[in-house]
Amino acid sequence: MGLGLLASRTLRTTTILSKSPRIFASQDPSNALRSIVSTPELQNPEAAAAAQPNPTPDLPPRTPVAGARVHLPNPDDAIEVFVDGYPVKIPKGMTVLQACEVAGVDIPRFCYHSRLSIAGNCRMCLVEVEKSPKPVASCAMPALPGMKIKTDTPVAKKAREGVMEFLLMNHPLDCPICDQGGECDLQDQSMAFGSDRGRFTEMKRSVVDKNLGPLVKTVMTRCIQCTRCVRFATEVAGVQDLGMLGRGSGEEIGTYVEKLMTSELSGNVIDICPVGALTSKPFAFKARNWELKGTESIDVTDAVGSNIRIDSRGPEVMRILPRLNEDINEEWISDKTRFCYDGLKRQRLNDPMIRGPDGRFKTVSWRDALAVVAEIAHQVKPEEIVGIAGQLSDAESMMALKDFLNKMGSNNVWCEGNDMHPCADLRSGYLLNSSIGGLEKADVFLLVGTQPRVEAAMVNARIRKTVRATHAKVGYIGPATDFNYDHQHLGTGPQTLLEIAEGRHPFCSALLNAKNPAIIVGAGLFERKDKDAIFYAVETIAKLGKVVRSDWNGLNVLLRNAAQAAALDLGLVPESGKNIESAKFLYLMGADDVNLDKLPDDAFVVYQGHHGDRSVYRANVIFPASAFSEKEGTYENTEGCTQQTLPAVPTVGDARDDWKIIRALSEVAGMQLPYDTPGAIRSRIKTVAPNLLHMDERDPATFSASLKPDFCQKMSLTAFGTTVENFYMTDPITRASKIMAQCSALLLKK
Amino acid sequence: MAFTLRSVKVPPNSVSLEEARHRTFDFFRAACRSIPSVMEIYNLHDVTTVSQLRSTIASEIRKNAHITNPKVIDMLLFKGMEELNNITEHAKQRHHIIGQYVVGNQGLVQDFGTKDQGISNFLKNFYNSNYF
Ligand code: SF4
Ligand code: FES
Repeated sequence: MGLGLLASRTLRTTTILSKSPRIFASQDPSNALRSIVSTPELQNPEAAAAAQPNPTPDLPPRTPVAGARVHLPNPDDAIEVFVDGYPVKIPKGMTVLQACEVAGVDIPRFCYHSRLSIAGNCRMCLVEVEKSPKPVASCAMPALPGMKIKTDTPVAKKAREGVMEFLLMNHPLDCPICDQGGECDLQDQSMAFGSDRGRFTEMKRSVVDKNLGPLVKTVMTRCIQCTRCVRFATEVAGVQDLGMLGRGSGEEIGTYVEKLMTSELSGNVIDICPVGALTSKPFAFKARNWELKGTESIDVTDAVGSNIRIDSRGPEVMRILPRLNEDINEEWISDKTRFCYDGLKRQRLNDPMIRGPDGRFKTVSWRDALAVVAEIAHQVKPEEIVGIAGQLSDAESMMALKDFLNKMGSNNVWCEGNDMHPCADLRSGYLLNSSIGGLEKADVFLLVGTQPRVEAAMVNARIRKTVRATHAKVGYIGPATDFNYDHQHLGTGPQTLLEIAEGRHPFCSALLNAKNPAIIVGAGLFERKDKDAIFYAVETIAKLGKVVRSDWNGLNVLLRNAAQAAALDLGLVPESGKNIESAKFLYLMGADDVNLDKLPDDAFVVYQGHHGDRSVYRANVIFPASAFSEKEGTYENTEGCTQQTLPAVPTVGDARDDWKIIRALSEVAGMQLPYDTPGAIRSRIKTVAPNLLHMDERDPATFSASLKPDFCQKMSLTAFGTTVENFYMTDPITRASKIMAQCSALLLKK
Repeated sequence: MAFTLRSVKVPPNSVSLEEARHRTFDFFRAACRSIPSVMEIYNLHDVTTVSQLRSTIASEIRKNAHITNPKVIDMLLFKGMEELNNITEHAKQRHHIIGQYVVGNQGLVQDFGTKDQGISNFLKNFYNSNYF
């Protein structure tokens, strides 16, 4: 090597002198020493470092990586470090890697993930720190005052090149058949930091693939043992399913025993795996990521409103990925959100249809279908007209439906899940008042009749995060169910609730001592007859535990459906409980979970929706509508945050947007609604619920507890029920999805 | 004869609007000259006439009358030339020609019934498609 060093040094000096290194090199072919390092000065980092000029004193200010911001809670705790000579102030306890990010230097990494614990086992993030003998792993090293960090010195570069070479030693060269290709961290970083040739000539190791279930495909030979997936499973998802087995070159990721990964968040390991070891099974070999068009949208399979990106190719939704939103879903989404998309391609309604006398549906034109419905709507008495909006409806169409029915003289219009809930006057009575992000401040949780893990997986992930971080206590009243964090099962029904309200229960002391207690009431309780009494008991507990203060509102309702909050804001609540029994004309706008048993046999049912789901069996006329991936619609999530879906793909067949159908029907029926554009319908919404126009904002409810009348209804002592029977199939889209059917067959505990 | 119209390479850009205009007329003439043979190739005599086709071509060109950027005109001319070549090379089939140049975009069945009288634009558009 000494000769090589000498040679390269000569080469360097001559480069400077002659400025024609090519000619020089070609004159002397003996100089063509094969070495792995692609940049000549890397062969002798120390000498090259010494030769470098001192960093220039005045550097232009840099922008932090990905808009990283530092929040200095206590200015005394701030320390100053130098990154490539550029001084940054950071709070004590930050790591070197975070300091570099604040200084605008992106450090390559594999194992570090800002939402997971630090493992420090990939060594890709090595940087040079002055006075330390070796390069340090920046993700695991706390920054110390006055530290001089150098991120692009030859030592750091050579270290990265070395790490890259080791990682690629056992990584298969199967990028052309790998689904991660094009969005692979290893690919990108080996282009940026790796060497341009390899020296490894032996056989690569291979690892047996593991079966993690119907969602995650594994190609374990590609794994680089960063352990992100293991840490995600244990820390965020709360299942101990994944682990590391063996050491050295025998190291493998796997489930310890032959077992599927049973978590409602398992799909996220696909995103965090930096290589193609864990990829999406339904998406396997379907598309390359660069041929997809991304549309930023909102998930509607539950009331959380997770932010998603719909990747589509042509008219087809290819996959759904999470989008970062710190207040709602951080950067995770549930499996239902991620994999329900194949339901958008099955069972779709694509033409208006009328049921003939023989009980079969006949395809007709929009003109005829609308005319038939309009005529029948005029033949019944106004009180016999009933409209029900489905759980996936957007605010625009619900507004149109309500306006249309009001014009027809009926006010029997509500949204699925709200059929017994008349108290839509106080927003605080149906929202998650402490906000999803705010749940992290709570130190005691009382879950009443709700199973957040299946009702709202992302809210559950928040609670779990809080429980992990602060050891918050969780008390649960309801039927036995699965939790992925420590909890106390206090009881199964209203009895326990009463005991707490009267202060007789041991959990009361926890509630009373808590600084920020949070009560979460499940929306499933809305369906009970004695809901007023239950809410009264909950409010008594809230008063007792000082849950509602000016600085903290911990009295929460966890809604179940994407449409529910907006429907309550718009006042889609039934007038009385006995509507369906007397209905002669029933307008179902995507409502499939209503019980139609009590509906009179001679009632005329119009079903408007995108899937041939349950209600279609009873429908007389079908209007095909567009699904959430095909329309622009406003949704409000359970914490009161208004968000919007955007069309990613065109509608199927002859389908139309929901609100357009109702607007057209209103004209055919001679009761024309006064809006023709989405803008006009939104100005109508503004007069009813202005908060639905404040996109991406959370409008907290103004709370005034004293406004509520005291109820003294008798509480029945039947235990609370489970709201969601099957996490994977809750709405028309997920029920039509094959992947979700596989999941419920394989993953649900029987 | 099929390939006679194909230009060997893409001609240089028109330097001025005047030149582009000139080329447009050249193109129009070339298209008009090929109409008789097109009628022959695709057997169009029983559905249309030479003068009808000519006015279709003219109106297709007039659709872009508002364009003043010579580069854009050149591009459109190029596309037109390509289309013309495809047609004269018999790269298309009869129904393509009929659909595009004889019947037009509105389609064969045109619903000018009395049904639609007195309805709003919204409803008219609604019956046509979801996108308006
Ligand atoms: S499977 Fe992926 S995330 Fe898990 S250790 Fe291997 S490379 Fe890391
Ligand atoms: S990112 Fe620091 S060791 Fe892996």
